[in-house]
Parts: sequence; C-alpha cells; structure tokens
Amino acid sequence: MLNFVIKRLLMLVPVFLAVSMIIFLIIHMVPGDPIDNMVQIGSSPEQRAELIAKYGLDKPLLVQYGVWFRNLLEGDLGNAIILRRPVAELIEENLPHSLLLGCLAFAFSAIVGVASGALAAIYKDSWIDRGVMTLILLGSTLPSFWLGLLLILVFAVQLEWFPVSGARSWSALVLPVLTIGLHGVALVSRVTRAAMLDVGRRDFVLMLHAKGLSHRRIQLQHVLRHALLPVVTILSLRIGWIVGGAVTIEFVFARPGLGSLLITSLNQRDYPVVQGCLLMLAMAVMLGTLLGDLVQASLDPRVRDSLK
Amino acid sequence: MNRLNHSVKVVLLALAGVCVVAGSAPVFAQDATFVINARENGFPTYNPLKGTKLNVANNLIFDRLVVQDADHSFHGQLATSWESAPDGMSWTFKLRKGVKFHDGEPFNAKVIEWWLPKFKGTENAYMTESIDKIVIIDDYTVKLVMKNPDPALLFNLATSFMGVPSPKSYEALGDKFGVAAAVGSGPFKLESFTVGQQTKLVRNEDYRWASDLSKNQGPAKIKNLTLREISEDSTAFLELKTGGVDALLSVPTDFLPKLQAEKSIKVVMLPGTEVFYMPINTSVEPFTDIKVREAVALAVNQKEIMSSLFGGTGAVANNFLVSSLQESKINPKFNISYNPDRSKKLLDEAGWLMGAGGVRAKGGVPLTVKLWTQNGTQFKRVTEVIQAQLKAVGVNAEITVQDAASINAMYKKKTDHQLAVRSYDYVNADILDWFFSGTRLGYPNISMWNDPKGEALNAKAMKGSKTWDERVSNFKAYHEYIMSQFLFAPIYQPTQSFAYSTTRLKMPDNIRGIKLATQSIMDIEVK
Repeated sequence: MLNFVIKRLLMLVPVFLAVSMIIFLIIHMVPGDPIDNMVQIGSSPEQRAELIAKYGLDKPLLVQYGVWFRNLLEGDLGNAIILRRPVAELIEENLPHSLLLGCLAFAFSAIVGVASGALAAIYKDSWIDRGVMTLILLGSTLPSFWLGLLLILVFAVQLEWFPVSGARSWSALVLPVLTIGLHGVALVSRVTRAAMLDVGRRDFVLMLHAKGLSHRRIQLQHVLRHALLPVVTILSLRIGWIVGGAVTIEFVFARPGLGSLLITSLNQRDYPVVQGCLLMLAMAVMLGTLLGDLVQASLDPRVRDSLK
Repeated sequence: MNRLNHSVKVVLLALAGVCVVAGSAPVFAQDATFVINARENGFPTYNPLKGTKLNVANNLIFDRLVVQDADHSFHGQLATSWESAPDGMSWTFKLRKGVKFHDGEPFNAKVIEWWLPKFKGTENAYMTESIDKIVIIDDYTVKLVMKNPDPALLFNLATSFMGVPSPKSYEALGDKFGVAAAVGSGPFKLESFTVGQQTKLVRNEDYRWASDLSKNQGPAKIKNLTLREISEDSTAFLELKTGGVDALLSVPTDFLPKLQAEKSIKVVMLPGTEVFYMPINTSVEPFTDIKVREAVALAVNQKEIMSSLFGGTGAVANNFLVSSLQESKINPKFNISYNPDRSKKLLDEAGWLMGAGGVRAKGGVPLTVKLWTQNGTQFKRVTEVIQAQLKAVGVNAEITVQDAASINAMYKKKTDHQLAVRSYDYVNADILDWFFSGTRLGYPNISMWNDPKGEALNAKAMKGSKTWDERVSNFKAYHEYIMSQFLFAPIYQPTQSFAYSTTRLKMPDNIRGIKLATQSIMDIEVK
C-alpha cells in the first residue's frame, strides 16, 4: 500500500510539470496583454513600452516561464500586474469561499446522488425508478448558467426564500450549491443505480437471498457497499467538474471565489493571477483524482491484496 | 411524560422564533446598497496616484481640487478659485480652509507640494507631466509653474486620478495604501474592500466641504454605503427587483423596458458620454479610396438604428465627439449623416458597379469587406443592422465577432480589418488625438490614418494652445479635418441611465456632474 501511494505521488511530478507549462503558455496565446488594461487615454507609445519592460513582458516566453517556475517552487506565485497584490494573497482571500461552495456541492452530490440512485435500484422498474431517473435526466441536461438564473427567478424573485446573490449569509449559499450540486447528483445517481444493479446479479447476493435476509437489508448493507467502488471514482472525478462549474456559478451569483477572481483577471489579462488560479484548480483536480485512487485502493480488497 | 411534552414545545417555539428573526433581518435606516457600473468591476485599488482603474467609490473617499458639472464646467472642491497666467505658463490655486483627512491630518498647500510629485514614474504620470514646479505662496495658496501651457490641466485635475490622499497615511501604508486602507478627505471613509465583490463605505461625520454642486454641504445623508460589483446583468436586475440592492448605477439597454415597467423603480436618463462609431481602415483596399470611405459612411442610417435598436432614446451621432462638448459643434458641412443616394453615386464614380445579387463589383472583384465587432448584445445588433444598411447600397460586409477583451489586441496584431463597430466613453476632445494620431496605428488608431496635415493640426491642438478657448478652436479645426477625410462613420450616442428603488431612496431633482457621482450622492436620502 505504501509503495502504491509513493508511486502515485511520484506520477504527479511529471503531470505537474506538464500542467504548469500548459497553464503558463495558454494565457499568453490569448490576444491582448495586461498593459492594454493599464494605459490611459493620452499616454504615449513610449510609456507603454516602459510598462511592458517594467513587468518583464518583453522577455522571451521561455525566460518568463523559467522565472515564474523558479518562483513557483519557492511557493511564490508572483505579483498581480493589474491588481497590484501578491497572487498568493488574492488566492488566500478567495479560496475559502470556493472551498465552502465546492465542499457543500460535493456533499450534496454524494448524499443525494447515492440516495436517489440506491432508491431507483431497489425499486427497479417501478414508478419510483422512472420518476427518479426522469428528474435526474432533466437536471443533468440544463446548463449551469441557465439553471442558476432559473433558480434565482423561482426561489429568490417569486418565493423570496433566498437572496438573489452575494455572500452575506448561509442562505446565500443554498442556490449556488443546488446549481452546482444538481449536475453531480445526476451523474452519481446513474452510476450508483447501474452499479447496484450490476452487483445485484452476483452469486453472493443470490446466496444472501437464500439465507432469508430481507430485500432491503441485502440492498443497503451488502449491495450498496460494493456499488460504492465505482461511485467513489466518479465522485473524485466530480471534484474537477465542481471546480470548473463554480467559475460560472460564482459569476452568476456574484459570489467571491477563485472562479470570480479568474474571470476578472482573465478579462484584464492579468497573467500572474490567471496562472495562479488555473494552477490551484489543476491541483484540485489532480489531488481529487489521487484521493479517489487511494480511497478506491483501500476499499477494494482485490487492489489491496495485489499491493501486498 | 407531561414535562417532556412541555419541554419539546418550548424548544420548538424558540426555534420558530429564531427562524422568524433570522429570516426577516431588518434593513437599517440610512444604509444603502448600490450596484456599480459593470465596466468598473474588478478594479483593484483605491490609490488614485497609482491606480489605472478607479470606480465611483474612489471619488467618495478622496476629494479633488475641482469637479465638473454636466455642462463640463469646473467647480471648486478643495480649491476655491484658480487663475491661469495670460501666457498659460502658470496656474494659481486658492485652497479651501478647514479641510481634514480621515486620519485627522489637515489639508493645506504643503499637501499639494507633497502630492503632485508623487505621480512621477507612475502609470498616471502624464496627468501632471506638464507641471514644472510647485511654489507655495502661503498656507492656502499654491502656484503651479508649467513646462508648457496646458489648458487641459483643469480637466486632468477633475479626473478620478487626482483625488488627494492623506500624506501621513499614504507614506505609512506604502503598497498597502488603497487596498488595506484608503485615507482621503471625502464624504465617506473606506471600511472594507474586496476586489470584484464589494466596497463598504461609512460616512465621514466631519465632512463640511462639498462643492457648490451639492445642495447638502455635508455630512452625507447616507450613513453606510455598500457598493456591490455584479457582472451578470440579469443578476443585478433581479437584485434591484427583489430589494436586495437600492440602486443600479448603470442600466444595460436590454433591461430598460423591464425596469421602467416596475412601479417601485425609477429610471433616470442622463446625457451620454459615449459614442458608437464605425472606424474605416484607410490602409486597406478598397478604403484607400476616399470616395469609397465616404460612400460607406453615408450608408449608415443613424436614425433607424436609434429608433429600432434603442427605442428612440439617446441621440444620433454625426461627428466624432460627444455632443455636449464645445469641440463637437463644428461647421455643419463636415457632419456625416445618412445619404444613400450620394453613397450610391460615389460608389459608381469609384468604379464599383452594381453586380449580381445586389453586390457591387469592380473588374470582376466583388465589394466584400470584413466587418469586426465584439461580443455583447448591443454591439452584435448594431453590427447586424449596419451590415443590412451597407448591403442596401451594394456593399457586402462579413461580420466577425471578436472577444471584447481581445479585440484591441487584434487590431494591433493584424491591421487588416476593414470596418468595425465599436464605442468609446470619454468627454474631452483629446480623444481625437488618441484615436487618430499617427503614433498609435492599429490600436487605438483603428483607422490606420497617418496624414501630415492631420499630424500638424494634432500638434497644434495638443501642444500649441495657450488658453482653453484657443484649445477649443484648434481642436475644432483638427476635428473638421478628420471629418473631411471620412475615417469613420458616426452612429449613435447612448444615454447614461441609472435606476433606483423609490421606496428606499429619494433622489435629488437635478443630477449634477457628468455621471451620478459624489456631487449628487451627497443629496441622496434614504427613506
């Protein structure tokens, strides 16, 4: 097991290198630069050239990447060009909001997804099954952006149960969490249902029935446990989607967070901030995948035994 | 059993009470929440000397020497009077007495002497670069000795970048000034600030020195002011509709009808500061021919665009400047407006004859041009209408939509655009220098115009004016010459508008200033 963990961690190193290079270069491929967002009407081309040199943007990209990466290894994400503050400080300020939103959405996806999937599997081919699957299909096909506005219209404007936007209280979290979480519910639910039905056809389940155990007990205590193996994998992959979805959701709900910071910085072409935010998001995906692999390894006896 | 039931009831009642209280948090009197213009979202700092982007809150925290009214006239704020020497080589300002910064420091001539040199080496250095030295006449009189005459000095002094910070706090905070704290002498103090989210201001109780543009000289009537940044227009609209905010400082055109339909919301229209126009690239065929340029410019039907896309609000544009500027009042013969007959005639004269499918051709080559625009509903709609209007005279325009954040870089990078639909928001005639100077080809000189006579007129207007009146005259001449070369087609002047809840706010009858700003915010009352 320890060897497995070490191997997985070592594999992250080349992935990290590749990801960092892609992240650094991708923002430079987009037309425009931070200086375009700094020059004032009336400033001269000479002043513009001075600014470009001041921020090192006149150097070759490879040199810029080298400087950035060296600083990165020391934990220094650089200074924002437009925002005029350390990037690490900006991320530190916004990260808790994104983590809160992401964790709640993740928990919502996991709990409701597994519950609804299990329910659909236990009552396979009944009206409960068809109802759950229909609702889930509906939820999974709506774009996040539009779903967010729809929820605002219904629950904030018509019913006035929750605020339209912002981050002033816990109630401001409900609609964003639902918006992000509902997509996850759909995926987790379908996987849970399929996995439970698959496990339900195993021989050991037949034996459990032969021993006279109740249907529900078999499903909840035995089948569901085995079905969680692929669910865990799916959930770990969901981390990336949740992180990505939060970008647009934070925008719609005018919430602080890495997503809002990323969009603001991208529009301003503030290179260091965009690179820092993307790196954080990429690390979230990598760590999420790693966590999923480790949890799966510890849950699945076959994997566990093969590592001994 | 009875005791248990009783306890349960007590707990349930308590929970219900808590829920009711939590669910209906009261809105405190004298507190207000505004949503700022979406274009001002993400601005990073409240440091007027170094900030390249400053929003409305900046002018609530810091005072300037002078401020402008809607008619562009200048009114004293920290300065009570000023005069320029006949040769334009010096300006003398009388300063207001009794002004204090939020940290208790006094405002006087020494502050000016400390303040102006701070711009050197910053992105805003050009604002003060014409000032040679500062002479303190007495505690409340300063004389600015100029390197060269600069009639635009007052305009510069009235911009957001010329808010005066407290020397004590500015030096103490260093790079943190404008982020961790911002100390000025304005009607509000900075309480907290999160980039891209909101700014919380608290009233400066000592404030007594508002300009004469405000009926209320101070303190402000709003006690706590929160300025929120909401990028998604739909979200901002719904916040105002549900009472989550009290005012939108800018209203997107798409939402005007919806807001006007709300009984408890009032929409106020102000004269515009923006111009929509279509630059014509003079360096690319077929627009190297002035006849073709003129034909294209005359094909644009300004009135149709105003009535069909903007509900008749705003005004048509017939030249390059906002119509409230003196320099926009040029000889009418230079103004450009829709004239399809002359457009067709000019194209015929230029050899572009009507061909198959309603598209003109010359030597077998169809008159097809690239028409750039940026994403955003307004720009796309205007562009599509113009595409149809150009087709009506035989010009086939192919639309390319560019990302709004990238399009300026694309102009510079490719320079093979032919037409574009865009706008600018600015209220000084030196915008002509910005968009048509030969030293800035690509962007911002999207017309790619580099003309010796134009450069001479530019230099005379920008550097050769000793007085304001002379400057106006020189810029008119430059403006007229630009118009005569048909470098662009004028399209439209949108109004500015803001919306507020009439159940929460009482707005002054007259909005003083170019936009809803400090001058009028001082007079806003919370019901």
